[in-house]
Amino acid sequence: MKNPRKKFTPWLYNLPAFLLIGVVVLFPILYTGYISFTNMNLYHWQDYTFIGADNYVRALGKMNSDFFAAFWTTVGWTIANMTLDVGIAYILAAGLNAEGLRARRIYKTLIIFPWAMPAYVSILAWRVGMYNTEFGLLNKILVAAGFEKMNFLSKNGPAFLSCMVLNLWMSLPYMIVMFDGALQSIDRSMYESAVLDGAGTWQKNLYITLPSLRKVMAPVVIMTTFTTFKQFDIVYLLTMQKGSVSGSTMQTIITYAHQNAFVSNNYGLSSAVSIVIFVIIIVFSAWTNRAAKET
Amino acid sequence: MRKNGKTGLSLLLAGALTAGMLTGCGQNGQNAASDAGNTAGTSADSAESAAAQASVNDQDSDTQTSREAVTITAWHDNDESMMNALADVVNAKLADENITLRFEKKPDVTGQIKLYGTDAANGPDMYLFAHDSLGAFAEMGILEPVGNLIDADKEKDFIPMTIEAATYKDEQYLMPVYYETLLFMYNKALWDGDMPSTTEELYDYMAANTDVNAGTYALVNQHSTSYNIAPFINGFGGYIIDKDGTPGLNAPGTKEAVNYNRKFAQLQADGDYNTVTALFNEGKAAAIIGGPWLVSGIRDAGIDLGIKSLCDFTLPNGEVMIPYSGVQCLGVLKYAAESKKEALTRVLEVLAEPEAGITLAKEFNCAPANSKAYEDADVAANEMILAMEKTAQKAVPMPNIPEMSVMWGPAESLLAAVNKSGEDLDSAADKYQEEALQAIADMQ
Repeated sequence: MKNPRKKFTPWLYNLPAFLLIGVVVLFPILYTGYISFTNMNLYHWQDYTFIGADNYVRALGKMNSDFFAAFWTTVGWTIANMTLDVGIAYILAAGLNAEGLRARRIYKTLIIFPWAMPAYVSILAWRVGMYNTEFGLLNKILVAAGFEKMNFLSKNGPAFLSCMVLNLWMSLPYMIVMFDGALQSIDRSMYESAVLDGAGTWQKNLYITLPSLRKVMAPVVIMTTFTTFKQFDIVYLLTMQKGSVSGSTMQTIITYAHQNAFVSNNYGLSSAVSIVIFVIIIVFSAWTNRAAKET
Repeated sequence: MRKNGKTGLSLLLAGALTAGMLTGCGQNGQNAASDAGNTAGTSADSAESAAAQASVNDQDSDTQTSREAVTITAWHDNDESMMNALADVVNAKLADENITLRFEKKPDVTGQIKLYGTDAANGPDMYLFAHDSLGAFAEMGILEPVGNLIDADKEKDFIPMTIEAATYKDEQYLMPVYYETLLFMYNKALWDGDMPSTTEELYDYMAANTDVNAGTYALVNQHSTSYNIAPFINGFGGYIIDKDGTPGLNAPGTKEAVNYNRKFAQLQADGDYNTVTALFNEGKAAAIIGGPWLVSGIRDAGIDLGIKSLCDFTLPNGEVMIPYSGVQCLGVLKYAAESKKEALTRVLEVLAEPEAGITLAKEFNCAPANSKAYEDADVAANEMILAMEKTAQKAVPMPNIPEMSVMWGPAESLLAAVNKSGEDLDSAADKYQEEALQAIADMQ
C-alpha cells in the first residue's frame, strides 16, 4: 500500500514556488481582471465602483480597422523576422562549424555581443549611431557617396525595414548559438556515412542536418516567434518615443494597445485592454505549443 | 531518519525563502513616512529622521509645537545641487524651529506621485514639479490647496502668470517657485551680423546660412515637439487644447502655425532633443531654441552664449512669438497636511520669500516666481533671467487641465507627420484631432 504522505510530498516541495508564482504572476493578473470591471481613472481614483463589462465593450470597440491594420503588420513583422532570423542563423551557424575554420571561438564570442547588451541601450545606440540624419553611419555613407540624407524612420516602409534590421541584430546571436549547439550534437559519423554513400553538401544538409535540428530547434523557434510577435520596445523606441516621434505610423498590436489605452490614465479601460491582449497571447501561445507538439 | 532530517531542513529553508521574499514586499513597523524620507540619507540621518517622525506622529496636529523636530520630504526630478541649495535656504531659516526640508530625486515624479499620492506610509510630504500635472492630481483628490497652508498675502509679489499656472478650477493648489520659458540662444562666435527682429528675417538668415548635407545649421529647434512649436501656435492664435478641454489641432490658427513652422523645420535637422542639442554644443548650429536646462551643457562646451527672448521676434501676422511657460511648483499632499501642517506652512512661507528665488537665480539661472527677487543686483544683471522675465509678460502657462496629459502625443504626431513624413496638413490635422478627442474620451 502506497504511503499517502508521498502523494502530497511533491506538492509540498513545490509549495514555495507556487506561492511565489501566485504572488508575482497570478495576483497581478487577477487584480488587473478586477480593476477591468471598475471605473478606476483619474476622476474616480479613490471612489471607483464596479461597472460590469463596460470597459470590455469599449476595449472590443477599439478593434477597428486600425487595430486590424496593426494586427496584420504584426503578423507580417513576425513572419519576415522569423524567416530571416532562422535562415541567417542557420547559415552562419553552419559556417561557424565548417571544417578548417580558424579562430572560431573568437567569432562565437563576438557574435554573442549584441545579445548581451541591454535592449534599451542597443535601440538608442542604433537610433543615433545608425539611423540619425546627422550622426548616423548610414547617412554619413550616403552623403559621402554624393546622395542626399535620408530619414530612415519617417515613413512606414523604411521604418519597418529599419526596425527589422535592428530586431535581427538583437535576436540573431541567440538563434546562432542555439543552432551552433544543435549542430554540434549531430553525430559526425552520419556525415561520414553519407559521404561514403556519395552525398554532397546539399544532400547532407537536407537529409541529415535539417531533420536532426528540427527537434532541438523547434522550442527555440517557437519561443522566439512568440517574443517577436509581442515586440514593443524596438518599434516604440525607434519611432514613437515622446520627444522623438519619427513620423512613421507603423503599429504592432502591442504599440496600438499602448497608444490607445495606456496613456489615458484610465486604469479600468487599460486593464480591460490588457486582459483582451492577454487572451490573444494565450491563444497564440496555445497554438504555437500545439505546433511544437506536432513537429 | 537522515532522510527525514533532510526533508525537514529542505522544508525549513524553502519556508524561510518564501517568508523572506514575501516580507521583502512589505513595510516594517517603523514609521514609514520618515522611512520614505530617509532613503537618500545616511543611516544616522535615518535614525534621526525616524525619531523625529515618531515624535511628530505621537502628537495630534493641533497640539504640535514648533519645537518638535520635523522632517519634510519633497520629491523632485531636478538637478540635485539646485534642490540642495533650496533646502539649505529653508533649513538655515528654520533651524531654530527644528524643521528640516529634505529633497529626494525620483525619476518620473508624476508617475511616482500617482502611485504614492495616497500612501502616507511611503509617499513624500511635498513634491516639486512643473505645473502641467496639476489638474490630474487635483482630480485625484490628493493635493492640499496651498491657500489652506499659507496666507495669500505671502504670495502677493508673485508674478501673476505663475499664480495662474498654480491654479486649477479657481483653487490655488500649488506654490510657484520658479519658471522656465523657451529662449532664442545663439553662439556669439558663429552668429553673423545683426539679430533679426522678425521671423521672416530669421528664415532668410537660415536659408542663407544652412547647409543640410554638410550638417551645418543657422538655427535648430525641436520642430516636431509641441512645446517647442507652441510659440508659433500661440502667436498665430491657435491652441493645443483650450480651457474647456477641447483640442485645437485642426483649429485655423494651429494649422496656420504648423504650416508656417514647416518651412523652418526643413532647415533644422531632425528635431530630436539629443540631435539638436549636440549640433549646437558641437558648434554645428549657430542658434538653438531651448530652455535654461541647456545652459550647463552649453557652458561646458565653452560656447559664448547670447540670449534673446522669443517675444522679440514678430510673426507675419504682426503678433510676437508666445512660448509656453513651465512653472516649477511645490504641491503638498493631503495626508501630509493633516499631520504636519505647521511645519509645511513654515517651509512654504520661507520658500515664498525672495531669498529662495535669489539663490536659485544666482546659482542656477532660474527665473524666480517672486518678482521681488528681481530687485537683487545680480539677478537684475542676469541676461538669461531678464529674457525669461520679459517673456513671462506674454508667455502662456502650459495648460494644467488633466486632458493635457493625453495631448502631447497627438500634437507631436501631427507635427512629425507634417514635418518629417510630408503628409497633407489638413488631413493630418483632422486625423490627430480625432485621435486627441478619442484619447480624452478614454480618460473618462
